[in-house]
Amino acid sequence: MTAVGGGLLGHPDAAEVGLERRRAGWLRTLWRSRSGRVGLVLVGVVSLAGILGGVGLTPENPGVQSSSAVLRGPSPPHLFGTDQFGRDVFSLVLQGMGVSLEIAGIAVAIAAVVGTLGGITAGLLGRWPEALIMRGSDIIFAIPAILLALAIVTSLGASVIDSALAIGVGYVPIFVRVVRGPVLALREADFIRAGRVLGFSRRRLLFGHILPNVGGAVAVQTSLAFAWAILAEAGLSFLGLGPPPPTASLGEMVSQSSSLAGVAWWTLVGPSLAIVLAVIGFNFLGDGLRDAADPRSRTR
Amino acid sequence: MLLGVARRLLSMVITLLGVSVVIFVILRLLPGNAVTASLGVSAGLLSHAQLAALDRYYGVGQPAVQQFVSWLVAVLTGNLGVSLASREPVATLIGAALPVTVELALVAIVLGLLIGVGLGMLGALHPGRLPDSVGQGVAVVGLGVPSFVLGTGIVTLLASVLHYFPSSQSFAGFFQNPWLNLQQIIFPALALSLGIGAAIMRTTRAAILEVSGQGFVRTARGKGLAPRTVSWRHLFLNSSIPIVTMTGIQLGYLLGGTVIVEQIFVLPGLGRLLVTSIANRDFPVVQSVTLLFAAAFVVVNMLTDILYTVIDPRTRAR
Repeated sequence: MTAVGGGLLGHPDAAEVGLERRRAGWLRTLWRSRSGRVGLVLVGVVSLAGILGGVGLTPENPGVQSSSAVLRGPSPPHLFGTDQFGRDVFSLVLQGMGVSLEIAGIAVAIAAVVGTLGGITAGLLGRWPEALIMRGSDIIFAIPAILLALAIVTSLGASVIDSALAIGVGYVPIFVRVVRGPVLALREADFIRAGRVLGFSRRRLLFGHILPNVGGAVAVQTSLAFAWAILAEAGLSFLGLGPPPPTASLGEMVSQSSSLAGVAWWTLVGPSLAIVLAVIGFNFLGDGLRDAADPRSRTR
Repeated sequence: MLLGVARRLLSMVITLLGVSVVIFVILRLLPGNAVTASLGVSAGLLSHAQLAALDRYYGVGQPAVQQFVSWLVAVLTGNLGVSLASREPVATLIGAALPVTVELALVAIVLGLLIGVGLGMLGALHPGRLPDSVGQGVAVVGLGVPSFVLGTGIVTLLASVLHYFPSSQSFAGFFQNPWLNLQQIIFPALALSLGIGAAIMRTTRAAILEVSGQGFVRTARGKGLAPRTVSWRHLFLNSSIPIVTMTGIQLGYLLGGTVIVEQIFVLPGLGRLLVTSIANRDFPVVQSVTLLFAAAFVVVNMLTDILYTVIDPRTRAR
């Protein structure tokens, strides 16, 4: 009885103190790990590039062709050189990064929200809702994600929203799994039972106690999902299934460059560099977040 | 044990049934009629009656549920239907493409294991030293560089710098011309294997570092066993479960990866067949190939589970 009483009285304070400390030191902890640092910097650079490209603040208008500056090598006015139409590759890359991040952002938002809700529902309700959700996510998971995206894009079309949907769907099962496990454990945790005994509303239990405790896992997965979504988007547009032509796309630029790269290597290097930096950045950020959320996994 | 396998098989069948429903539903949303698409321009010359007759022949006009059931029954009896684009049986097309993809995937996974386990063990045995740094560098590059970028790079390098392009000749089967076949498979496999190798390398390194901190390893070293014996018998065997898990996961990703890489290297495998069929709105082929990929993925997962019980006797209980 005393033990239960201690848990009841002791817990809420402890939780709030812990939460506050975690919030204050969140960025600092992330910055302390090498992966977190590299990740933050790379994601920052890539996001900046994407935003500049998205709002049209590029050194040159990426749509303007110039017959007098065809296939120029990298030089101060054209950092990444020019393509076969005389367009500035650097500006095209910024624009493509913007589109890529936009699609990836929507895709990850879809996957994270649907997957987290699914995982929480499955973990909390149990019985048939859980069976239904887990079976459904197993089925989606069994179709290689890029094939699923391929099928959906062919069927819906390749607008920004459709591409995002196609890419997001395949990642839902991963969020479901990542969230359901901890929720199962949390359901029986002492502080949740205590909250229930104290008569906390379901909403308070869910948003105040369960969500914060799966937040770390979701954050890690969100970052990794971003890396995957950027890869998938580039892959789809590489196959010619990206957003239609006026929209720049990194994957399509890579595919176009394959016929030119022998004479103009920079047309391959520019967009590839953007994809690689983005993917590495989000992967590192994910590792860093994992280290920050769970000190035991800290890599040496 | 037998009951466990039976239960797993049943669950696999249910999953695959679900997969076939999902694929069917997604593809039925496709705009454009596959029959008219397959006829191209000449579709405009047909009368309404002729079009209706064609729809009936291919079963396109039927209600969706009926189409699904008749397709499923046909698939279960081994009849995958006829390609709308080439008029060849789907089974023939798949039969021709399957060996290419299987070979590509196998070579890629073997290369990936060599790179991953090799660098991972080397790194974990000398943490912080040069081999470790090299391994970590390879892992970062391998995880960050997508296979299609790597593939495009390799093709460009081979073709324009070395003037070497084995894929320009038509594809040679392994039993027809092993030497040409090897040249055509090794580069796409390399493009695929770097990412796999990176993931396996990280898993191997982490697993071996964890095991090497344990008492029995110190005991083994202390009683004077050869370092090589300790590395393989004590460290590697005890780290093999996570390595097998990661290899299984990567094999799953690999199936998707072949789609893009086959496109770059012009390999006549399943992935290329799929992309061509998607462009042609060729339902029967797309349906069957996607289902086949999913089936392969599910089977790989099951084999991974079974492999656990072979490697680790403790998982045999239940």
